[in-house]
Amino acid sequence: MQRIIEEALMVAKKFGVSYADVRVIDRTEEEISTKNGSVDGIKSSSSKGFGIRVIADGAWGFSSSFVLTDEEISRVAEEAVDIAKASAKTKIEDVTLSKIEIYQDRVEEQVKIDPFSVPITKKISILLDADKLMNLQGIILRRGGMYFSKEWKTFASSEGAYLELERVISNAGISAIATDGKDVQTRSYPSSFGGDYQRKGFEFIEEVKLLENAWRIANEAIQLLSAKPCPSGKMDIILESSQLALQIHESCGHPTELDRVLGEEASFAGTSFLTPDKLGKFKYGSDIVNIVADATAPFAIGGFAYDDEGIKAKKIYLVKNGEFVGYLNSRETSKKLRLEPMGAMRAESWNRAPIIRMTSINLEPGDKAFEELVSGIDNGVLMATNKSWSIDQKRLNFQFGTEIGWEIRNGKLQDMVKNPTYSGITYEFWRNCDGIGNKDYYHIWGLPNCGKGEPMQVMQVSHGASYGRFRNVQVGVLR
Amino acid sequence: MMTRDKIQTILKKSVSFSEGDQTEAMLYGGKSYLTGFANNHIHRNVGENNYNLSLRVAFGKKIGSASVNDFSDEAIKNTVKRAVEIAKLQEENPSFVSFAKPEEAPEKDFFVEKTAEVTPDMRAEYVKKILDKSKEKGLNANGTFVIDLMQIGVLNSLGISRFCSLTVASLKSVILGDTSSGYSIETSTNVDDISVNSVIEESIGIAEMGKNPIAVEPGKYEVILSPYAFAEFISSLSYLALNARAVEEGTSFLAGNFGKKILGDNITIYDDGLSPETIPMPFDFEGVSKKKVVFFENGVAKDVVYDTLTAYKNGKESTGHSLPQPSSFSPYPMNIIMKGGDLSKDEIISHVEHGLYVHRFWYTNPMDPRRAVITGMTRDGLFLVENGKITKPVKNMRFTESIITALNNCIELSKEKRVMYDSSSITVPYVRIKDFTFTSITEF
Repeated sequence: MQRIIEEALMVAKKFGVSYADVRVIDRTEEEISTKNGSVDGIKSSSSKGFGIRVIADGAWGFSSSFVLTDEEISRVAEEAVDIAKASAKTKIEDVTLSKIEIYQDRVEEQVKIDPFSVPITKKISILLDADKLMNLQGIILRRGGMYFSKEWKTFASSEGAYLELERVISNAGISAIATDGKDVQTRSYPSSFGGDYQRKGFEFIEEVKLLENAWRIANEAIQLLSAKPCPSGKMDIILESSQLALQIHESCGHPTELDRVLGEEASFAGTSFLTPDKLGKFKYGSDIVNIVADATAPFAIGGFAYDDEGIKAKKIYLVKNGEFVGYLNSRETSKKLRLEPMGAMRAESWNRAPIIRMTSINLEPGDKAFEELVSGIDNGVLMATNKSWSIDQKRLNFQFGTEIGWEIRNGKLQDMVKNPTYSGITYEFWRNCDGIGNKDYYHIWGLPNCGKGEPMQVMQVSHGASYGRFRNVQVGVLR
Repeated sequence: MMTRDKIQTILKKSVSFSEGDQTEAMLYGGKSYLTGFANNHIHRNVGENNYNLSLRVAFGKKIGSASVNDFSDEAIKNTVKRAVEIAKLQEENPSFVSFAKPEEAPEKDFFVEKTAEVTPDMRAEYVKKILDKSKEKGLNANGTFVIDLMQIGVLNSLGISRFCSLTVASLKSVILGDTSSGYSIETSTNVDDISVNSVIEESIGIAEMGKNPIAVEPGKYEVILSPYAFAEFISSLSYLALNARAVEEGTSFLAGNFGKKILGDNITIYDDGLSPETIPMPFDFEGVSKKKVVFFENGVAKDVVYDTLTAYKNGKESTGHSLPQPSSFSPYPMNIIMKGGDLSKDEIISHVEHGLYVHRFWYTNPMDPRRAVITGMTRDGLFLVENGKITKPVKNMRFTESIITALNNCIELSKEKRVMYDSSSITVPYVRIKDFTFTSITEF
């Protein structure tokens, strides 16, 4: 590994770059899916390669390859420099980077059971046991899945950084779809879109408790078919933590990405309403809203030891006591705004250049018991488990749908309702947050599929949340 | 790029190393370059050389699969061994009959040398034309210029042996003004088909027309959707409705409706991987030739796409729409085309007394799959149409509408079409739709 890295940095330096870094990644993945009592697919894959990022003539270039030979390393390093020099033909100013502390380190993931040491048969059997429990009259589709990955990444820079980093991820989730011939309803566990993900070994699969929840969600899917539609109008809502996690993701995580803010993602993902003039001067939410970017959060898949610029994992506030106070940034963007680099540059794999990504964006828990949150509502809805999401390109107007809801009347949970949706404008919504559940309900959810960038990069991020109560929200679109 | 011979050798070796009853090897990859620009300069400029070998091994009805991007003999042997182990540990898949069987199929290739010869400097030159014009107009240019050089080879122990190479060039411009934005994209296998001037003209034109938008109330509007907006609106049909898996799983609104007229008379939508109107692909990831599949003919639900597994299960033949296997999204239509009408875009606009012209939709997501209810935002150009003319720019709005309802309310279609490409293609005209529902507004 060291040879590849030395060769790449040497060739880059030969072509006169002012900065270069190299990442070599070797990743193994395993994905198991079951459907209606059978194995639907097992995918075992491995991918390795390297990427070289350079600044030449004051502009960025990046190239990458799966071929780890001396000849290809030279070609790719030279290509990265050629690409940078082509970029420089349109530059307005030279790229400059914030100064950072340089580390040499090796970090192994602390897992109890290596997920690749567990036989596939055991994994299949857990999923098929859960499948059996979901096999109720009216359920037409039962799905289960597990995903495991393990990678070693070596990062080195022309400034002397040298990091060897291990990363292990485990995932499990199930879902049941019910139909009565007219309507179709879905329930998922522990959350939608594949379940939950953590930086843990196979021990995580037991913690997820699929078997304890399989019958319940299948039964709920059937009940939803005859449930009444979610009411519509302005009312109070409580979001369960996995839905609140996605709300944080879309309405706080993305708009605090400084590359978006500075217009660097305008071509695809969009920009942000949290412009630099608002930093430290904008009431993002109510006084009880505290949101952190915490790459040090234990087991969180948005966490890591060092980011892809070699910055050691940090925790910073994005929103403190409701004030907007921080950005997710990179060495380049932090320099532009004279901010402290906080380490949010991440690349999907060896074949992508790092961009600013969420780490673990967490809403700090409040002090309320669930019963207290409910008892404070005369007319409202409790909503759980995301079904749909959409938000404008400045991250202001959002609309979410959840799998399930329950009416709240006179401080008590009432009937189940189907197709709950709510919408709003980001800062108005968060300013109306008047209750956050305590740490007993707090959980950091792994979201493996955050898409951003061109070329597209799918990133593993995470969000900590408890319950959240929001006043005077527009509920209901579907009738 | 790898040579065709090298790809064939890797595929043959992969199959020969296997002890399975049936073995399939698929190698896919190539080189890919993207020059990205923002704030009137190139800010991201990247290249990639990557291939992936996917293997499937079957013992009776037990299938194992594994993939790797190291093509040394040792790595291939280990990957075959892994696929064999997985197959042996599997339970039987009762639906599995066979991998794809050989068929008469002429070779087709879509590799354009001119596209493959584009260098980083040439990409910068294309982009610079957009940047210069944007600066001249006091605007802010953003976008990408993408060059993809792809190869795919499929070989299986039953005699399938296919190879194809393909180039794609795509130039996108998103122009930002202080209170507006405009969008344009052109995509082709041949870089010479891309007109940088028309991309500049459209994206800057929309941005300039969009200055100082007014707010209008949400509600039902007659709309003219550009091909960009319409392709985005119907794109989720690919996985929600137009494939055998979605029908089987009950999420497709075609389930139980085949042969019935469920959309308007003027709605004919099909998939055709070999049409000159699409970014072509002669065969799928199992090596099966692409067949033309008609989803809706004059509003009548006709058929959906199949891969080998769903075809055998339903007593049909694969239509050549497998994704790389195993995949929970397969089969998948990769080349959706909608039949256009006789009118020009301007004629359609001239017929609208009061409505909205939507240049682009963004962040669409299904809210109710069975009813195909989609929500999303307008972006990069929304205009009021009054008495047959575009009159005023409008602040962006959220729509929430069923595709089924909208395709029953479609009054007119244009003869002009655009192909939108993002790994798969959708080629559609401008459409005029009545009673399209906007549910809320945003601040810009």
